[in-house]
Amino acid sequence: MYFFMNSNAIAAKRKADSSFMKKGVFIAIMSGVTYGLYTGFLTLGMARGVWAADWYGANTSGLSAFAITYVLAALGSGVNDTISGIWMVIKCAVLGEMGDFFRVLKTKPGLVMVTCALIGGPIASTCYVAALQMAGTIIVPFAALNASVGAIIGRFVFKQRLNGTMIGGIVICLICASVIGGSSFDGLGGTTMIGIILALVCALGWGIEGAVGGFGTTLIDYNIGITIRQCTSGLSNMIIVLPLLCMIDGNGVNAFGLLGTAFTDGGSIIFFVLSGLFAGLSYGFWYKGASMCGAALGMTCNGAYAFWCPFFTWIICGVFGGIEGYALSAVQWIFAAIMVIGIAMVGNLNPLSVFKKKEA
Amino acid sequence: MRPLYYSMLLLFKDGAELCVNDVIEKLKPEYSNFKMLKPAAVREGLMTAQTNGLLDETRFDLDENGELRVYWKVNDYGVQMMTSYIK
Repeated sequence: MYFFMNSNAIAAKRKADSSFMKKGVFIAIMSGVTYGLYTGFLTLGMARGVWAADWYGANTSGLSAFAITYVLAALGSGVNDTISGIWMVIKCAVLGEMGDFFRVLKTKPGLVMVTCALIGGPIASTCYVAALQMAGTIIVPFAALNASVGAIIGRFVFKQRLNGTMIGGIVICLICASVIGGSSFDGLGGTTMIGIILALVCALGWGIEGAVGGFGTTLIDYNIGITIRQCTSGLSNMIIVLPLLCMIDGNGVNAFGLLGTAFTDGGSIIFFVLSGLFAGLSYGFWYKGASMCGAALGMTCNGAYAFWCPFFTWIICGVFGGIEGYALSAVQWIFAAIMVIGIAMVGNLNPLSVFKKKEA
Repeated sequence: MRPLYYSMLLLFKDGAELCVNDVIEKLKPEYSNFKMLKPAAVREGLMTAQTNGLLDETRFDLDENGELRVYWKVNDYGVQMMTSYIK
């Protein structure tokens, strides 16, 4: 109920609302861009140094097929998330939030965040890395289904808005994501199918995480939320998932030996330092974007990573790293543009007005 | 001591109608050294709480300096969330 209004106040209010919305959309889009950079540097890191020369190459330590697929995926994901956690702790300290970080950890929303991180971190991220290693960027659009899962959870659990146009937008995004990813692979082999199934597990994990985590940051500042997420994910990956996978493998692979080698490998660690930085920024923007413009719009903007992942993997691994097979086709560019329309429909936005003024 | 963000939301729990400056004034005694207790960060926090359905906007006007001043109040859902999650 507005008791007193004049035209200046109304104009100022409209401007404030619109800049908040634009900032949310911008942050959510940046989460997709930084996600692409994270995927690119992670892929390059896992194709350099000891990863290329030994583990995925000569295999002097005699790793089994299971270990090469799952143990190395969990290792890559664990190294990345741990470094990312360190970056986020630094950021928290700079913003003077370390005290609140520990205070939040002891509360219910803090524990919700830890649970979220356990679902989205070790489980979904390991599936994502394993799927990427098995089937390549074809799995990205399948993992991108997490946007729909998040939007549906947001609608039914948190009563966020979801109308016909928005549902149409989600469908368009999914079709585009599938075409972008689908046109970049050659055939449906058994390994590809397992990769896709792993990507679907990942989509479910990230969908739950996105909706719950985006909501959780209403109660927790997003910097603190993302620091809890990355630290939990990195630590649980190293202490629980990696040793567990080594045990399942049953060939006496030493999880902590692998971690030691990975962290001290001069040929690849620099790329993990970069991938960790972008992963932290990406998840942070994802949480913040989703809590500023709602889970549906936030996650759909983020879902443009179906485009950014192949794009930056091509730039980083193909152009910069000199590895072949990462180029984009004309069809992928076209559907990336159509995907922007889908995003606009989810938010009932005019895409041009979003970019009219520079917003940080 | 509670995390800053919790204290910010709890100010609304008893039904108070507050703007950004009210929130900052009320929290200053305990959180004066917090970098995040600045108008821009507090405004963003309150607008996020509104997007997530915890707070409702009640009215807005221009203050004596011609700056936009928006007021918020908690709704039933917000009270329920604070009661279940924040102590």
